Formats: sequence, structure tokens, C-alpha cells
Amino acid sequence: MKHPRDPAAPGRAAALLLAIVILWPLGVIGEFHPWTLFEAQNLRVMGGFLAAFLPPAVGGEFLAHLGRATLETLAIATAGIALAFVLAVPLAMATTQALSVSRIGPGPGRRRGEWLRAALRVVLVVLRGLPELVWALLFVRVFGLGPAAGVLALGLTYGGMLAKVYAEILESGDSRPARALLEAGASRLQALCYGLLPGAAQELTSYTVYRWECAVRASVVMGFVGAGGLGQLMDQSMRMLNGSEAASILLTFLVLVLAADALSGLLRRQLGETDGRAGALAFGRRSSLWLLLLGSALLASYLWLDLGLAALLSAAALASMAAYFGAFFPLDLSPDWLASVAWGALETVAISALGTLLAAAAGLLLALPASGRYGQAFEQLTRFLLNALRSVPELVWATLMALAAGLGPFAGILALALHTSGVLGRLFAEALQNAPPRPRDALLEAGTPSASAFLYGTLPEVSPQLIAYSLYRWEMNIRMAAILGFVGAGGLGQLLYVKLSLFQYPQASTVIAAMLLLSVAVDAGSAWLRRWLASPGG
Amino acid sequence: MIHFSRRLALKSALVCALAGTFFNTAVAADADTVLRVSAIPDEAPTELQRKFAPLGKYLENQLGMKVAFVPVSDYAAVVEALASDKLDLAWLGGFTFVQANIRTKGTAIPLVQREEDARFTSKFITADPNIKTLADTKGKVFAFGSPSSTSGHLMPRYFLLQDGIDADSDFKKVAFSGAHDATVAFVASGKADAGVLNASVWAKLIDQKKVDAKVRVIATTPPYFDYNWTVRGDLDPLLIKKIEAAFLKLDASNPEHAEILGLQRATKFIPTKKENYAGIEQAAKAAGLLK
Repeated sequence: MKHPRDPAAPGRAAALLLAIVILWPLGVIGEFHPWTLFEAQNLRVMGGFLAAFLPPAVGGEFLAHLGRATLETLAIATAGIALAFVLAVPLAMATTQALSVSRIGPGPGRRRGEWLRAALRVVLVVLRGLPELVWALLFVRVFGLGPAAGVLALGLTYGGMLAKVYAEILESGDSRPARALLEAGASRLQALCYGLLPGAAQELTSYTVYRWECAVRASVVMGFVGAGGLGQLMDQSMRMLNGSEAASILLTFLVLVLAADALSGLLRRQLGETDGRAGALAFGRRSSLWLLLLGSALLASYLWLDLGLAALLSAAALASMAAYFGAFFPLDLSPDWLASVAWGALETVAISALGTLLAAAAGLLLALPASGRYGQAFEQLTRFLLNALRSVPELVWATLMALAAGLGPFAGILALALHTSGVLGRLFAEALQNAPPRPRDALLEAGTPSASAFLYGTLPEVSPQLIAYSLYRWEMNIRMAAILGFVGAGGLGQLLYVKLSLFQYPQASTVIAAMLLLSVAVDAGSAWLRRWLASPGG
Repeated sequence: MIHFSRRLALKSALVCALAGTFFNTAVAADADTVLRVSAIPDEAPTELQRKFAPLGKYLENQLGMKVAFVPVSDYAAVVEALASDKLDLAWLGGFTFVQANIRTKGTAIPLVQREEDARFTSKFITADPNIKTLADTKGKVFAFGSPSSTSGHLMPRYFLLQDGIDADSDFKKVAFSGAHDATVAFVASGKADAGVLNASVWAKLIDQKKVDAKVRVIATTPPYFDYNWTVRGDLDPLLIKKIEAAFLKLDASNPEHAEILGLQRATKFIPTKKENYAGIEQAAKAAGLLK
């Protein structure tokens, strides 16, 4: 068999070499030791634990616990999103350029308006820069144990996220009607309602519904720090090494996440349909029905959780809160501690990079059958596997992996890899299905084996998209890796958890600052990378 | 558009008003009539809840008020909750009591402890045949329980230090398993070369035959004061007396009491005082866990 030499070979070899040179130290930092998974002693203990998964626990008392925890999780997500919405609307209105009066022309308040906008943007960065789990961990201490901490944590992080995206959506649309209204002397609220909303309402609602779906997953996780719901139950069962309970809870996760997925999809399709009609924002019987449902869901959530928000906002509570947060200042900036934090940050980056890379590889392998290359049966099977992988949150994988791989960064890598391969596999499969078939078909007709036809005909067509997806997930995984340490999977999270446990707040706040910096750096870095990839020279 | 905003406004106002009424009633019902109790989660919290059920019923009878158990998954949260008056009575470890004492500016009152808590110990365990003494654990992966644990972290760390082993520099890696049961699982699976846990949980796991045959004890710490039941300082003094009396009255010869004591793994409860925990505070300072 003689083939003409691959003209791209030197470049590929160089890229491979470069990748190894970069990945090697990351592997060392992340304690990437896959062989430990297969040691006999380990297999025996894991086997014993997994064998206990069957049959899943179905005892009456336990199922009652499980049902209550599931409702609590849903209620936390719903109440949290409602709070986020209440926070996000004024923040988005204040920060969006589309409603900026000062941009229209020089006026008396122009400088002040710009400053205010800049300050609010910083607030937004802080709100969404810290993972909701960190907020939850802090709030559990101030507000006491239970769902209130979870609701507030979700409300703040998602409030920051919604506000940013709302502002961007408003900016991306046609801003001329709003501007005309503002110039004619309308208030910002009027300009928003009559100038911007008609064009943007559908996209805004759709994004909010999508975020609710994310909030369901997030509220599952927040239980791990004592904020109620399914996560708390999972944490408890895992500590007892009670496999059959863990199995039931995992199955509940799966059902809950898939149901939230389906409901969110249904709602968004409904929105798409109404768009086709004459009115920009049709408010018919169906919308009334949805709104009524939404209202009752909200009311039910608040009642179920019994939040007692009034008690949280009393003067005494506010004073104790102020004292609590005051203890975090000044930050501990001693060289020793900074070195530990820097190492933790490095470990976090290593965990995220290796986890995402493994996930991209596994995702691609799973995407092949999932895109229907090997027939219907395989497609359905792998799609179910991908859904299962993705419906279990990273933190839950981390508790399972800590048992399989030991406490430390390697467990974090595996956890990220498992969850992310579910996410990426699904996206990759869609990309493969949408890839133009011609280059591959041409190669096949010319007698190329099907593996080569895939490598040279399909892969080049989709690889930019696959790389973009992977980079985007890496960005999310850096944030996630920062908190996996809460369950013992290394990185910044572990430092934060230990310091908070020992009430060493100045050190804890240095870690929080590092998380925030990392998040901002990742934001800026990924924006730059995306521009670079999109630019013709890149 | 106008219809939309008006209807929306009406509906949201209605929802808010309804929600508001419910909040207020919910808040007013609490506080004075319920004794809020919690415990540090050094074991699985569901296990703690199960263990607490008969004790809670007994306290309800003795005190003539409702007793509610608040489950938690974080040691430090119990301390903060006690300091911010969100709990009335809590089962604390020696180290968490010292932390609570500091966080409440000395107002928290330790009431009673199990007879066993006055001479508590921790067990160092391993599954590695090459580890025979504590000195052999140098350069190995070592598992503590929760960072806030007295018997799973602080005291073992202190006694290791006295034996010339600095947990921060002499181990290859230190892992926090989160709970005593989990430490045994990590050592059994070889995830940690050695670990340490509280002697009482070790005895329970041995009784239940839940320990892998390869796991063995290599050393036991000298005795120290551990767990106690602590109340917040501004609780009604009369109620404090009643709680203390209820615990001290528990008698193993009474079958109903025997069940409670059995679940708490206590022969009986004895009074305790702050001074008992001065040694732990010093150990925490020496081990660098308290500044």
C-alpha cells in the first residue's frame, strides 16, 4: 500500500509535540494517574460499592425523603430564578447601551451616567464571577441552614448572568425605536416597553426559560453545602457509602434533568410559534394560561420553602451579616498564603484543561454512533448514554470519583470529563449530522476506506465548530473546577472549604478573590480567543 | 401591549400580596415555642437524625415544648448558626465547641457530655502491611476526617506533631475525607495509605463488621475531652436547667432511657464545663488551626 505523503504531516506532528509539551506538566499538577483506577484493591472496593447500587432503594421512608427533596430542588430553582429576574431587570435597564440617554448627546448627567454604568458592570462581574456554590456556602453560614441560602445564591449569580445577557440582547436588536422614543422625551421604562421589548421579548423569555433549566441542575448541587434539596440527600448517602440510596437519587437526577430539558424545550417551541403571528408580542389565551401557571409555580415554591425572608432582613440579621462579611477583610496577602493560592489556581486550571480534553476525545468517540453512523439502535443507545452522563452534575460525579480515584485533583479531572463528554458528545453529534456530505462522499467514491474518508472528508469540515464548542466548555469548566474541591477534588475549592471550616476568613477571602480573578481572566481570554479564531488570519 | 403590562402588574401584585401574608405567619409561629437542635455532621446526617429521634421525643416530654432537629452537612455551619441564634442546642465536638466559644464571645454554655467524652481517643489506621508505626506514615498519603473535626483532625494532628510528624510537611499528601466512616473507606481502598478516626465510630464499624479485614490500628492517641451538648448563652436560664436535668436523669437501667443512651453510644451523661476544653484550645493553637 503506497499513499502519497500527507502534505500536512509536519504541521500536525509539530502541533502534537507542542500539545504534549503543554499537557505533560498539567498532567503532573493534576495528578493524572489513570492506572490507579484499575488496581485490584481499588476495583474490589469500587465493585462492592457499585454492587450495592442494585437494587435502588425504594423503602417508603426513603422515597418520602426523596420526593420532598425533589420538590425542594424544583422550588429552589423556581424561587431563585424569580429573584434573579427581579434583580436582573433593573440592572439590565441601567447597564444596557440601548437605553443610554448619555449616548444620545452631551447632557448634564453624561459623565455620571457613564460612571454609574461602569460601576454596575463591575457589580455584575462580581455577581456572576463567583460560582453559585460559593455564594451558597457563604449564605449557609449567615442565613442558617436550608433552602433560603440556595435561593439567594441562585438569585445573585443568575441575576448577574441574566442582567448581562438581557443587556446584550437589548443591544443586539434594532435600537432605533427606543432611541427615537428617548429623544422624544420618553422615560427609560417607556422606551424599554415600547421600543425594545416588542423586538426582543421572545429571545429574552427563551433565555430565561433556558436559565431555569440550568437552575434546576444548579440547585441539585447546592445541597452539597447544606442548602437543601436533592444534593443534601446525595451528600448524606455518599458519606454513608449507601449505594442503593445513591442509585435512587441518581435516577431521580436523570428524570428531573430530562424533564426540565423537555419542558424548557416545549416552552421555547411554543414561543417560536407565537412569533409567526401578526402581533410582536401576542398576548392570547395561551399566554395567559402560561402566566397563570408560572404565577402558581412561584407561589407554590415560596410556600413550600417557607423562606421567612422577612426574618432575614431584620436589623439584627443585617448587623450579624455585616459582621460576618466584615471578618473577611482585610485579605491575607502574606507570600506563603499567596503561593498556596497560586498553586491551587494552577491545579484548578490543570483539572479543567485535562478534564475538557478527555471529554472532547470521549465526546467525539461517542458522537460517531450518536450521529447515526452505525444505525438506529446504536444511535438511540449512545444518545441515552450521553443524556445520562450530562444529567449528573459535575459535583456529583466528583463525589463518586473521589471514591474511585482518591481525594485530589484526579477525581476532579474525571468528574469534569464524564459530565462534559455528555454535553460535548451531543453537540458534536449534531455538528456531524449537519456536516456537508460531499467531500466524504467524493472520497468514498474514489475508493477511500471509510475511516480515512471520515478523517479527511468530514472532520476538517466540522473541526472549527468542535474546537469552538470545546473551548466554550473549557471556559465553563475552569469555573466548575474551582468548586469541585468542596467535595475533596483539589484546586481552589479545597483551600476555600478548609479555610471556611476553620473560620480563617481572611485566607478564605484571598481564595475567593483568586476565583474571581480567574473567572474574569477566563472571560477576557476566551473573548480574545474567539475573536482570534473568527478573524481570517486565525 | 398595554393590556399585557396591566394584567401582568395586577397578577404580580396579587402574587406578592399572597406570598407576603404567608411569610409573616410562618415567621411568627417559630422562635419561642420550638427548641431547635442540631449536631455536627461527623457521621452521616441521616444517621444522626435517626439517632436523635427518641432523644428528641424524650426532650419534648421533659421540657414540655416542641423539639425540632435541623440536619446539616457542614460543621462550621452549626457553629455559625449557634452564634447567630438560629439554633438553641447543639451537639458539638471539642474543637467545634472551642470555635463556638470564640464566635459567641464566650457566651455559649457547655452543659453535659457522655461519660466516654471525658477520656476520648482517636485510632490511627492503615491497610498497608509496610506501615507498622506512626513514623512509617511519613511520606505517605494521609486521610483526616473533616477539617473541623476534633477526633478526626485536630487532636491527631496535635499528637502527631508531638511525635515529631508535621502533617503539613511530612506527608506526601493530606486528604480530608469529610467523615469518619469515609476515612475507613479511603484507607480500605488504598486511596490513603493511612488515616485517623474517632475511636467510638471505629468501635461501631467493627461491631457492624463493616471494616475490611486488611485495615488495622497502628496507634491510639492519649485521651482528651471531646463532644458535648452546648446551648446558646441567651437561652432562658430556667430552660437551660431543665435541659441539663433531662440529660443527667437518663439512666441505663430504665429500658426507655437505655434505647436513647444506646443510640448516643453513651453509658450516661455527666455535667461538663468550659475549663475541660482549655487543653483543646491550646492544642488547636499549637497545631496552627486557631490563631
